[in-house]
Amino acid sequence: MSLKNPNERWGAVSQSFHWLIVLLLLAQGTIGLLMGDMARGPDKIAVYAFHKSVGITILALAVARLLWRLYAGRPAPVPGTPAWQERVASLMHGALYVLLFAVPISGWVMNSAAGFPLQWFGLFNLPSIAAHDHDLHEFTESLHEWLFWTLIALAAAHAAAAAYHHLFQHDATLARMLPRGWLHAPSQENRDVA
Amino acid sequence: MSPRSLLLPLLLFAAPALAADYVQAPGSALTFAGKYQGEVFTGKFPGFATRFSFDPAQLANAKLDVTIPLATATTGNDDYDGELRGDDFFASAKFAQARYTATKFRALGGDRFAADGTLSLRGVSKPVTLEFTWTPGAKPVLAGKATVSRLAFGVGGGDWADTGLIPDAIAVATKVVFTPAP
Repeated sequence: MSLKNPNERWGAVSQSFHWLIVLLLLAQGTIGLLMGDMARGPDKIAVYAFHKSVGITILALAVARLLWRLYAGRPAPVPGTPAWQERVASLMHGALYVLLFAVPISGWVMNSAAGFPLQWFGLFNLPSIAAHDHDLHEFTESLHEWLFWTLIALAAAHAAAAAYHHLFQHDATLARMLPRGWLHAPSQENRDVA
Repeated sequence: MSPRSLLLPLLLFAAPALAADYVQAPGSALTFAGKYQGEVFTGKFPGFATRFSFDPAQLANAKLDVTIPLATATTGNDDYDGELRGDDFFASAKFAQARYTATKFRALGGDRFAADGTLSLRGVSKPVTLEFTWTPGAKPVLAGKATVSRLAFGVGGGDWADTGLIPDAIAVATKVVFTPAP
């Protein structure tokens, strides 16, 4: 499998970024939604510290992913995709990238505004990126959650579109984001035969 | 003679022995510093009060007494302060103040001294050494440092005892400006 992105499908690196970030976001969102209800104490602090570490990891992966995308390019649109759909899909991908940065950064600002340390898996500390400020903390607390829900909503629409393409359009939209042979894309096979 | 006129000569007589008695003046500070999640935090004890009998030439007679209210201890972070004053750390509702007293002093050379005193904090009394410099004058200044083991006093024990989260050593620093005791 090509590392860079060949014209007709996503390469191994882009696929790894995509699915690794999917998994991390699902875990991260679940932890984030549940941790607020924990009783105050060291256990809660440990879970928050883990959430922050995973968030920083996602942010770092987003940076690497974007750089890779700029370097490796992207496959051509799946043949037969109407121009308007291609445009909507591109806008969606752009918005998902923006949120992939915005959600962790809003969390980082929130943590800084609260005056809390930011430690990556207990190994090293990252600096504050905002002043210790009560109002800013309150604001970014809501912002972080709203950005998260926006990301989830867009990611769900993105996933639904991929499923629609696979199940009803029978094209390679989903199959080409997975290792070769994991999913059959009937229309591709038909084209190959034809 | 009235009782009052009797008292005055007595006071004058007693005064020389108490010549080196001081009380704390404005401009004094008592601070602490530790680490939390790898980051240094600092705090202060507003309202601490110091009485000091000190003559560098007569260390045997020296006596230090500091009272430290705990319910007003602050790190400047409301989230920390609630925890700091709460049951798991200072338990300030139960132990309103800490106290540091010392009667054993050592000269360390020059203007440097050490007090081998006792800190009473959270119902525990243990030895703590305060090293300080003494700057004599009309308003003498004591500038000192001590290291306190928080766990020895049960500050943040139990679930909070993890020194990876909060190391045991807390650095205490003070600068006390004195005026002669009234």
